Amino acid sequence: MALNVRPLLSSLLRSRTGAILVAMQITIALAVMVNAIWIVSQRIAAIEQPAGIDDRNMFVVAIAGLSSQFDLSSALTQDLAYLRGVPGVIGATATESVPLTGDGQDTEIFLQPGQRGRSATVGELQTDTEGLKTLGVSLLAGRNFRPEEIQPFSKHSLEQSVAEIIVTRTLANVLFPGTDALGKVVYDGAGRPMTIIGITHDFMGPVDLGNPKYQTALFPRIPGAFGAYFLLVRTTPGRLDAIMRTAQRHLAGASPNRVIFFAHPLSFYHQRMIAENRNMAVFLSTITAMILAVTCLGIFGLATYNVSTRTKQIGTRRAVGARKRDIIAYFMVENAFILSAGVLAGCALALAVGYWLSVRYGLPRLDLYYLTAGVLFLWLIGELAAWQPARRAASVPPSVATRTV
Amino acid sequence: MLQYYIRLALKSLRRTPGLTALMVGAIALGIAACIVTLTVYHAMSGNPIWWKNKVLYAVTMDSWGADSPHDPQHPTLAPPQLTYMDATALMRSDIPKRKVIMTQELGTLTGAPGQSMPMHVMARATTQDFFSMFDVPFQYGGGWHGADLAALPEIVLSQEVNDSLFGGSDSVGRTILWNNIRFRVVGVLRHWAPLPRFYDVVDGAFATPEDTDQVFVPFSWVTTLRAMPDGNTDCHIHGPVANYQAFLTSECIWIEMWVELPNAARRERFQAYMDAYWAAQRREGRFPRPLNNHLTNVSQWLMINGVVSSDSRILLRVAFAFLVVCLINTVGILLTKFLRAAPTVGVRRALGASRRQIFTQHLVEVAMVSMAGALLGLALGAAGLSGVQAIYAQDNAYGMLAHFDPLGVAWALALAALSTLAAGLYPAWSIGRLPPAGYLKSR
Repeated sequence: MALNVRPLLSSLLRSRTGAILVAMQITIALAVMVNAIWIVSQRIAAIEQPAGIDDRNMFVVAIAGLSSQFDLSSALTQDLAYLRGVPGVIGATATESVPLTGDGQDTEIFLQPGQRGRSATVGELQTDTEGLKTLGVSLLAGRNFRPEEIQPFSKHSLEQSVAEIIVTRTLANVLFPGTDALGKVVYDGAGRPMTIIGITHDFMGPVDLGNPKYQTALFPRIPGAFGAYFLLVRTTPGRLDAIMRTAQRHLAGASPNRVIFFAHPLSFYHQRMIAENRNMAVFLSTITAMILAVTCLGIFGLATYNVSTRTKQIGTRRAVGARKRDIIAYFMVENAFILSAGVLAGCALALAVGYWLSVRYGLPRLDLYYLTAGVLFLWLIGELAAWQPARRAASVPPSVATRTV
Repeated sequence: MLQYYIRLALKSLRRTPGLTALMVGAIALGIAACIVTLTVYHAMSGNPIWWKNKVLYAVTMDSWGADSPHDPQHPTLAPPQLTYMDATALMRSDIPKRKVIMTQELGTLTGAPGQSMPMHVMARATTQDFFSMFDVPFQYGGGWHGADLAALPEIVLSQEVNDSLFGGSDSVGRTILWNNIRFRVVGVLRHWAPLPRFYDVVDGAFATPEDTDQVFVPFSWVTTLRAMPDGNTDCHIHGPVANYQAFLTSECIWIEMWVELPNAARRERFQAYMDAYWAAQRREGRFPRPLNNHLTNVSQWLMINGVVSSDSRILLRVAFAFLVVCLINTVGILLTKFLRAAPTVGVRRALGASRRQIFTQHLVEVAMVSMAGALLGLALGAAGLSGVQAIYAQDNAYGMLAHFDPLGVAWALALAALSTLAAGLYPAWSIGRLPPAGYLKSR
């Protein structure tokens, strides 16, 4: 394209204030957009981390005793017998804490007695033989608990050890990297041995132990040490609401001296767990979109102004032989210069902001792939914003040149 | 003269309705974004008891095990809670003007007249200074008096509990069963839910409705009932605790402690008291970690416990970047708009208007744009806040967090007015400097 850049540049430099202002907007827009999208992409990754349990079809009922006359053990047995008999219930179990709530017990387990050797922090989930079925968690190796292995209810159950545990694949890898953990013995803080009898796929337990999120272990134990227990129920798809309502009504009257503290679907906790990340993603995307919109309006405004102040010049060029597409090219290239200047400064600013975020808030360093994509994207929408004014410029008839203003 | 300028400005703005709408809209969007993020930030970082910031201190001692710090990510911080041994020992000091220890205890309320179902409530087990120390407002009655350790069965209800059990009437003197023990109601609070809940950030600075404090009972009832606390409990020695007595004398931390120290001298004396206690205990084989006794005021406490999430800080900065972009945009539009009207300005200058008058005239126009933008921005901000509130409500979190506070509105208005005027100064000034001759000639 035979486009003479010199006159274009000199006219740009003669009225530079508007161009500088637009370039500044582009600079800020690029820096904000690239870093915002980088943060949002990480949040989305965190949100999409699978819980590993069938939380969409599960609900929890929290039961607490009211007085010392409350016979927790038999109430719990009755509740489970009732729930397991309800049509549409796949599994039901009683636990000491609820998955995905962030609220529960974590313990340290060791490879050698006496708190020695490699260790790992473990999120505990107390359950019986129905635990795996209720959670929708499958075994990769080993076996489920046997009925005789389930430690019966006692007020001091948390002080007693268990002989067998089932762990997630992640936990098995943390404890025994590179070797098969099945059948190996680990020790609790008091030095009592526990055999790993099963390894499951990864799932999230009650407590959030940060990264990796899947250091969960099942303990074969009937809950109730604190005078309360949670009933976890898994239903066939679509039946959750109805079964939860009936179960709540039945359980409320089933045994004396107790209350139903609450009943929630597990999706309630899943929602709460991802809320912070989701809100941040929504807020950041909204503001970024608004910055881009305002910046595009700025580009559009400048191009429109330039076209309208140069009508006569355009007419003259048309009269001496410039084609429509030459006029369009002129304005698009002029806009491209402004865009490039803004984008160049924007790259520097984006990197600086990314560096500052990583130092100040410990975020991972900005991925350059995002910066490249951001530059291309901004360049593209910047040119699109100038397209309509440039088209209008091309439609200026050559006869304009022969008239005075 | 001003009236004339206003008329001129209106005329000029009406001549280019698209550009005017663009400017007003951009400013409004920028201001709305700032209002929303500022309000959220303010609500999350606000110190709900700022008037006592200089006298209230959280008490921490590093009683954690020798191997690793309590929080490996912040190794210099002492754990945020105390052991029962340390809390009761520090409570014996007479140096603080007021002092409290506390934990959370889940329980049930029964026996109110006409109550059919037991009510599950979150109780704050604390000591008598709690109410006076944190300026807790009472609707009826007051806190309990006398030594806590004598443990009179007295209870204080929140307004919400009193409303649902006693229909909002004065229930002082009535009795009610808390965990099947007969308690006498001695006080009913007026609605009180400081946000963030500075005095117990460990159990959640932004409590969900399910764990806000609904009743208040003397701390000693926890130990009398031999109840395990329902608040956060951390033990660094792994393994079981033999019995309740062993739990009380264990190194498990589960108690929050606050003291009121009216001046620096008392503060130093209490710090010395803590250090002396620490040294004596260390001689007996406790406190394996280095001396790290701290008195932390409320605003620092909120900061070191990460109550203000870095998310809201990042959002605040992004919103300000957005406002800057909007303002730059406005400067650009104003410049082009004024330059287009340059021939008219040339005529006015030729007819005798001074540069100063041209400048003032255009500044009036700028001020009108900025005012319209600010007002629209406020409306948009209010709408945005209700959107944010809807999002939070859907999550059941942060309760009534994002309310529109008047201070925030004042700030936003000032910000709007100042920033737009600043943005308008340059265009108004540059139009005043144009030499009139050139524009007259081309006519």
